[in-house]
Amino acid sequence: MKILSALSLISITWIVCFATAALGEESETELVSSGSTLEEDPMDYEEEIEEDAISDPIESVNRVLFGFNDKLYFWVLKPVAVGYGKVLPEPARRGVRNFFSNVATPVRLVNCALQGNLKGAGIEVSRFAVNTTAGVAGFSDPAQKHHGWKKRREDFGQTLGRYGLGEAFYINWPILGPSNPRDTVGLVGDFFLDPVNYVFAHMPTRLGVKVYDKVNGTSLSIGAYEDLKEASIDPYVAVRDAYHQHRQYLVEDID
Amino acid sequence: MRVTRTFRTMSSLLLLAALAVPALSGVPTEQVKETTEKILEVVKDPALKGDDKAGERKRLIRVAADERFDWQEMARRSLGRHWRSLTDEEKEDFVALFSELIGHSYLAKIQGYTGEGVRYEDEKVDDKYGVVETTIVTSKGVDIPVLYRLKNKGAEGGALWLVYDVSIEGVSLVNNYRTQFKAILSKSSHDELVEKLKAKLPKDEECKTDDESSASADSQ
Repeated sequence: MKILSALSLISITWIVCFATAALGEESETELVSSGSTLEEDPMDYEEEIEEDAISDPIESVNRVLFGFNDKLYFWVLKPVAVGYGKVLPEPARRGVRNFFSNVATPVRLVNCALQGNLKGAGIEVSRFAVNTTAGVAGFSDPAQKHHGWKKRREDFGQTLGRYGLGEAFYINWPILGPSNPRDTVGLVGDFFLDPVNYVFAHMPTRLGVKVYDKVNGTSLSIGAYEDLKEASIDPYVAVRDAYHQHRQYLVEDID
Repeated sequence: MRVTRTFRTMSSLLLLAALAVPALSGVPTEQVKETTEKILEVVKDPALKGDDKAGERKRLIRVAADERFDWQEMARRSLGRHWRSLTDEEKEDFVALFSELIGHSYLAKIQGYTGEGVRYEDEKVDDKYGVVETTIVTSKGVDIPVLYRLKNKGAEGGALWLVYDVSIEGVSLVNNYRTQFKAILSKSSHDELVEKLKAKLPKDEECKTDDESSASADSQ
């Protein structure tokens, strides 16, 4: 069963590789920081940055789905998260977030290792050990507070990026939000690494747990999406570009 | 980390005292710090708390930001190639509008900050250009990496480092707006873009654009 999953994952990756080469214009996501850290003459800067945006061949579809997600947030997710936030105090909700994050250690650990970041992998192991014990099943984060071991932000999409797979083009999934072919494959890959999906093998329960995680996470960042909308002239483009820049940053960021 | 920072602060102070030549390391960080601390002072000042003081706070924050942010440079970069096709008046108006937008969207949000402060992580300088890496420590236990790109616009031998871009978690403000503006300009005119920007600003704010006949005279 596991071997089949792994094989299907590999074949999906290859299919996506060819599809993206065919479909999307490759955006300039180099492994090394695209664009110098220090700017040269603005003339050069303009030419260079023109190439840096992500291609969006299915923009009309993406915009519709973006609108759907927007409504979903304001009509469902936000009211539920706000209500939930009134019932459970913030420290407790942060604890829940830490708990889920701790459980998902294998995702970060494996992806650090796959990228050759053994120091990061080691830190994740140490964090898990300390937080599960002294951190009371992961609700607290003494690993960071007392030892200064920061959580590594790594996922399979970043690993694929490190290996040279570009973002290709932009996809805005319903519910899941901004993504691209590479990061979507990344999500599938990480699915197999996240223990939550093994512990809760029964689909409805697993879905319930994931929704709870999402609601809890949202309750801790109410206002962020609203602020982004308020600050932008075209929120759809703002989100698309922010996602693209942020993913590029995460792929390049290795610690 | 703290040792390095203290050392750097000390050495840059010494260098400043010696009236040093260009490429003073530590100066960009010091100047960013100066502005950040001014702003945080306004946010945390108990004498400025309360809704009735909101206008005053906004004004003081804006004054501090104006000393460090090069609005013209940011506005120009956010328009990319399109900038060159504007008249001088259009450029001036756009710079004013852009700075109002940033001020309204971001500087206003700073007022909600209750965290523990800012860590100055790193600095790189190459001739006239510099990068200062900081981390904002929030009260929710989340660290936000903020990176400032600066250009030294001081006279010969002087150092006046001005910010022309801010990157939060790797997302550059200027690039983000540039992508938005580019998308809008591909389908509509410059005037329509200007209208969209104006629509974002609250009506009671002091409008600095010359063609807003209604607001500017009365808002003083």
